[in-house]
Amino acid sequence: MIEVNELTKVFRKPIRGEGLSGMAKTLLSRKYEEIRAVDGISFAVPDGEIVGYIGANGAGKSTTIKMMCGILTPTSGSVLVDGLEPYRKRRQVAQNIGVVFGQKTQLWWDIPLVESFKVLKEIYQISENDYAERMGFLGEVLDITRFLSQPVRTLSLGERMRADLAASMLHNPRILFLDEPTIGLDVLVKEKIRLAIHELNKTYGTTVVLTTHDMTDIEDLCSRIILLEKGSILYDGPLKSLKNRFGNLKTLTLTVPAETQAETAPVLSPDVAVSEDDGRLVLRFDADKVPLEQVIQYAFRDLRALDMKIAEISIGDVVKTILEQQEAEHAEKV
Amino acid sequence: MLKKYKPFLRAGAMDTMTFRFNIMIWAVITVFQVACLVFLWLAVYRSSAGGMTSEIHGFTFREMIAYVVLTTVFNYVTFNNDTLWFMNMDIRKGTIGNYLIKPISYRGKFAATSFGSLLTMTALFGLPFYTAALVTLRCLGFLPNLSFPAFFAHLGLFLLAGLCASLLNDVIAYIFGVLCFYTTSTWGLNSLKETLISFLSGTLLPLAFFPAGLRDVLSWMPFAGMSQNPVLILMMKYDLAQSLRCVALSAAWIVALELLAKLLFARAIRKVTVQGG
Amino acid sequence: MRYVHLYFTCIKRSIISRLEYKKDTIVALFSFFFSNFCSLAAIYFILQAIPALAGYSLYEVGFFYGFSMLPIALDHLFSDELWLVAYRRVQEGDMDMHFLRPVPVLFQVFAETFQPEGFGELILGAALIAVCASNLTVTVSFASIFVLCIGAIFGAVIITSLKVAMAALAFIFKRSGPLLQVIYNFSSYAKYPLAIYPAVIRALLIFVIPFGLFISLPVDTLLHGAHNPWLLSLAIVGCAAVFFALGVWVWTLCERRYESTGS
Repeated sequence: MIEVNELTKVFRKPIRGEGLSGMAKTLLSRKYEEIRAVDGISFAVPDGEIVGYIGANGAGKSTTIKMMCGILTPTSGSVLVDGLEPYRKRRQVAQNIGVVFGQKTQLWWDIPLVESFKVLKEIYQISENDYAERMGFLGEVLDITRFLSQPVRTLSLGERMRADLAASMLHNPRILFLDEPTIGLDVLVKEKIRLAIHELNKTYGTTVVLTTHDMTDIEDLCSRIILLEKGSILYDGPLKSLKNRFGNLKTLTLTVPAETQAETAPVLSPDVAVSEDDGRLVLRFDADKVPLEQVIQYAFRDLRALDMKIAEISIGDVVKTILEQQEAEHAEKV
Repeated sequence: MLKKYKPFLRAGAMDTMTFRFNIMIWAVITVFQVACLVFLWLAVYRSSAGGMTSEIHGFTFREMIAYVVLTTVFNYVTFNNDTLWFMNMDIRKGTIGNYLIKPISYRGKFAATSFGSLLTMTALFGLPFYTAALVTLRCLGFLPNLSFPAFFAHLGLFLLAGLCASLLNDVIAYIFGVLCFYTTSTWGLNSLKETLISFLSGTLLPLAFFPAGLRDVLSWMPFAGMSQNPVLILMMKYDLAQSLRCVALSAAWIVALELLAKLLFARAIRKVTVQGG
Repeated sequence: MRYVHLYFTCIKRSIISRLEYKKDTIVALFSFFFSNFCSLAAIYFILQAIPALAGYSLYEVGFFYGFSMLPIALDHLFSDELWLVAYRRVQEGDMDMHFLRPVPVLFQVFAETFQPEGFGELILGAALIAVCASNLTVTVSFASIFVLCIGAIFGAVIITSLKVAMAALAFIFKRSGPLLQVIYNFSSYAKYPLAIYPAVIRALLIFVIPFGLFISLPVDTLLHGAHNPWLLSLAIVGCAAVFFALGVWVWTLCERRYESTGS
């Protein structure tokens, strides 16, 4: 159980003057500008939930994660992890959480992977039985057994990330914080990692908080998402209702004969937007307002479609739309 | 043509300025260190056969103190240099490749950075400290050879010798940096470099104390030009002809070492092995 | 007991890492021997120009130098990681992983590196002591050997504690390497007999940065019977206790100020 209450983090950053003369001035006096990286956010994550934490770069995702695992202290507000404040009760909390920062490895670079695990076994006081059981589980779901005896520096990025994940799960933490666990990985490895997180959550009921830029991660894993922008929460709730906010949006992409063109095409309804994209026709509509069947008929009969592709609006499109709207509103205010 | 190195020169200058904190600490603690050295020399001269007024290897006690103070300031101003560490980083992370495809010379980048650092250090730190040290030492009679207006000629040569010392230091650091291709023991390399320079340049002890044979060899090596010679030029322990000879020797060594550095770098880059994957 | 076991597990890890870089160890050892060779040469050159230094002969000064290496070597074996903390790791935000583990951060820092190069120093120091002692006429007693051992072991504790306190300041200033370096450099002044310094510096080296207390005074005791070895031993142990407590206290205080980098 994680409870975040009115959490705020303000960074002070020295303002540097331009060029050499500005530099000389900062030598004498230093001014600071305040950056509100996280601005009064509140939410709670019950046990066993997988929460996706999304937002643009610099939205405050990593800052929040770091406060939740105790390596940043909030400027105001509080975080409670199983009732403890992680930045005060660091050691107690550490025993119950696992953390992976995608950009940085926590493994020892020069030694065989299994030696790193042996050290972690001692650090977290994992019993022989638990250790064997966990290694069995992780070896299978993350497929790390093959390269256990290789030094970490010889591992590929995908292997290293799986190794890092295994290291963070070794002590069976009740909560797992994953900061961009799939960054820079190929589709197959991403797939494997998602599967492992899913398995872990199912088998041990581990709570998972993950940040990502990959919307497939979110769609595959998260029952709930928190959308962050400029330090504030824009949306917090189930993935499905975020989509529903935009109705049952669908896109039909049609391959049509040359004589069919967007401007001259017969109109079915004002609710069906017709546009051209790379020689193909694209129809966008809300399936709750105009039945899908009707649109398909229209496509074949009136537009003489040769082929078609139906797509639901993707979560990426939704997030993009929300952020664009937010920006437009912001621009209007200014 | 040199214009494209300007950003690196600025970077070197700026890096140096951000170490305001370090400079302040250095100033406070150095007083302690110099004081301790003063006491060591005090004991040495007291213990010598001729007592306090004796001259050991051409140095009176007062000159020795002036020498200690001025080499300390000189080394701090001149040897502000991270070339070895940056090269090590570029080699370890493989970013060295990025520089090889840019239209600037990798060596030139470091020379420009260290020149920028020398300029700011001289302006910000050297100017006040040299002035203070020279005025104080002169007034206390620790610089008996100092006489005007000849001093200004020596000052000019000193600045030139300082520039040479900085360039020599940078090219030596670069040569040690090339060795990072072969070993990851950067700390070991760096300490080897610093010991080598501090021992052979006369920082640890004026070369006059060394046995005759070694002294003769060292008088033809580049090291004396990195600390002892510039300071002795400033103290006017060398006459103009001697001073000019020192600067010329340093300049010749810069050319020779740059060539050596080029050669070694070309050899090393052929067997680049990037770590990790 | 748990921590002893954990320490050895970590140290084993550190040694496995080191074995991957045998060539580097040779470079580091060579650089270390060269640096000591230069310092000794400098002392030798100075002593060639004068009959004795403040009444101490060449071999006596050499004995001081050799003994000063022992506590430094012991410290070097166990606490080398502090240099990295002070110079780089805090500044680069590279301490996060230690703060995410259920073990004291200071313990993890010590367990991170075991520096076998320290053995080189121990051997060189001992060899220098042996060579110099064989050229001196000293009356060796159990008490004077005892005080030398106390000086070496508890001196190492004092050096380490000083380093801990200085490295801890990096948590506040982001980088405390130069400060650590400067304090550490004071050890080079304890390589000479305290007699060469005026009273103020002597007091400084005994009471404030006590390199003189555990290096110079025990050696003086052995060479000239200058002090009561038992009282001196007691003073060194007491001083080590105080410095150890101070070092840990400063570390705990500063550690709380650690913040990871943002974003």
